[in-house]
Amino acid sequence: MKTPAAYRSSLTGHIRGSAVLALVSLRRMVRSRQSVVCALLLVSAGLAAAAWSLRHAPVVQEFVSEVLLPVYVSFLLPMFSLCCATPSIAADREEQTLVYLLATPLPRPMVCVAKCAASLALAMAWTMATWAVLTWFAGPAGRAVFWPFCPVVFWSTVAYVGLFHLFSVALRRATVVALVYALFLETLLGNMPGIAKRVAISFYTECMILDAGAKLGLSPTVGREPELLLPVSGDVAWTVLCALGFLFFAAGVWRFSREEYA
Amino acid sequence: MNAPFTIAASGPLTEFTAVSKWYGPVIALNDVTLHLGPGITGLVGPNGAGKSTLIKLLTGQLRPSLGRVRIRGLTAWSAAAKAWMGSCPDVDAFYDEMSGRAFVRIMARLHGFPARLAAERTEEVLGQVGMAERADRPLGSYSKGMRQRIKLAQALVHDPELLVLDEPLNGVDPIGRAELTVLFRQLAAGGKAILLSSHILEDMDTLADRIVFLSRGRILASGSLAEIRALLDDHPLKVRIGASRPRELAARLLRSELVLAAELAGDEVVVQVRRPKRFFASLAEIVIEESYDVERLQVIDASTQAVFDYLVNWNP
Repeated sequence: MKTPAAYRSSLTGHIRGSAVLALVSLRRMVRSRQSVVCALLLVSAGLAAAAWSLRHAPVVQEFVSEVLLPVYVSFLLPMFSLCCATPSIAADREEQTLVYLLATPLPRPMVCVAKCAASLALAMAWTMATWAVLTWFAGPAGRAVFWPFCPVVFWSTVAYVGLFHLFSVALRRATVVALVYALFLETLLGNMPGIAKRVAISFYTECMILDAGAKLGLSPTVGREPELLLPVSGDVAWTVLCALGFLFFAAGVWRFSREEYA
Repeated sequence: MNAPFTIAASGPLTEFTAVSKWYGPVIALNDVTLHLGPGITGLVGPNGAGKSTLIKLLTGQLRPSLGRVRIRGLTAWSAAAKAWMGSCPDVDAFYDEMSGRAFVRIMARLHGFPARLAAERTEEVLGQVGMAERADRPLGSYSKGMRQRIKLAQALVHDPELLVLDEPLNGVDPIGRAELTVLFRQLAAGGKAILLSSHILEDMDTLADRIVFLSRGRILASGSLAEIRALLDDHPLKVRIGASRPRELAARLLRSELVLAAELAGDEVVVQVRRPKRFFASLAEIVIEESYDVERLQVIDASTQAVFDYLVNWNP
C-alpha cells in the first residue's frame, strides 16, 4: 500500500477527495433544517394541488394559470433552490468549518464544484419530486404537462442554483439576500412592464412554459398575453437559462478561488 | 498511477520572505522574514501582534499583500503546498453531528486517501492523540480537551512535514497537556516542523526549541530563549543566589558595577544585574576568592514571559 506521502497533490487524489466532499456535503444537507422546510413545502404543494383538483375541472389551462405559474414557478422553484444552494459555502463559513476544507490539498475550484454539485443534486431532487407530486395530485390536468415541462423545471433549477450558490460564495448573509431576491425582486422584476422583466429568471421560465405549452395547445394566461409579456422564444429562453446557470456557477468558482475566508 | 501528477516539492520547508499584510489601512504584518525548520517553534505575541495573520498566511487562508510565503518552495496559498502542512485551527468548530472517528476519516479522504488507507491512518492518529477508545461519540458531546485532540488528529492524518498548531493546549487538562507535550516532542524528534502559537507563555518554556516574538506586526526577536536573552545583554536580569553568608555576599556584590540592586530574601540574595555574561564570570571569581558556599543559582526572569516583556517594552 502507498504511504500518505504518495497521495500528495495527485490528480486521482483530488478527484477522490472532491467526490467525498460532494457526498459529505449532500449527506449533511439532507439532514439539515432546510430539508425539513423542503419536505413541508413538498407536502403543502401536494395538498394544495389535491385541493385544487377537487374544486376545478381537469383543464390544463387552469392548472397552468392557477397552480403552475403562481405557486410552483414563482415560489416553490426558487425556494427549493435557495434552501439547497445558499448554505453550500455560507453554512461552512458561518459555522467556521470552512477552515478545514481550505486546509486540505483539494484545489479551491474543486472544493467549490463539489459543494455546488451537492447543492444542485439535492435541489434537483426536491424540485423534480415536488413537480411530480404537484402534477400527480392535480389529476389529469397536471399529469398531462408533467413530461413536457420537465426540461423547464430542470433548467430553471440550474439557473437558480447557480445564482444562489454565487450568493453563498460571495456574501456573508447569503440566505437573507437570497430570500429578498426570491420573494421580492423576482416577483417585482418579473412583473415589470416592457423588457425590464428580462432580468428575472422566472421570466425565462415562463417563456419556456409558454413555448412548451403552445405545442400542447395552451394559450397565454390572462395578463400574460404576448403583447404584454413580450416573451422570447423557447429556444432563446432555454439558452439564457443555460448560460445564466453556467455563468453564475463559473463566477462562483472564480470568486471562491480568490476569496480570503478569514 | 499517481506519480505523473505528483509534485516533487523541494526547497526550505517554510519561508516567509519580506511578508507584509494589511487590511485596508491597518497593517497586520510588516516586512516579516522567517524560516521554519524541524523542531518546535513557538509563536508569541500580545493580541493584535499579527500571530493569527501569520498563521493564516502560512495555512493559505490569506495571501500576503507583499512578499512571499512558501512551503517546500510552493506558494502557501496553493493547494499543493497544503499537502505538506497540517493545520490545527484555534476555532472550536466541527461538524458536530459526526463522530470524531468519522471526522478524521473524512479529512483523510479529502486528502485523497483511498478508503482503506484513510481508515488505517485514522486509527493511527487517534491512537497518537489518545482518542482511539473515545472517538465514536458525536463531536458535539466532546469536552474542549477532546475536541482539541480531534483537531490535532485531523492535522496529523496525512502525515505532514509542517504542523501549524494554534493554541493546541487550550482547554486541555493538566494530564492531557503533559501527554500532548510529549507527543509534540516526539513529532519534533521525528523531524517535523511545528509552529505552535500559545498565549500561555509557560508552555513555551518547556515546549519550544525556538521562539518567535511578534509585536505590532513585526518580529522582535527569534531564536532559542537563551540566545534571545543573551542578545538582551544590556537589559537587567534578576538572579537568585542561595549561599552561605548571604548578607555579606549581598554587600560584596553591590560593590560590583554590574550589580544594580540587591535584596535579601531569607537565606538567599536576589540581585538585579546588567551584562549577565560578565556578571556570571565575576560572580565565579568572587565565590572562589571569598569561599562562599553557593547552593543555588537561578535566573528568575529568563522565562518566555520575562523575555517577552523585556522585548515589548524595550527601547534600544
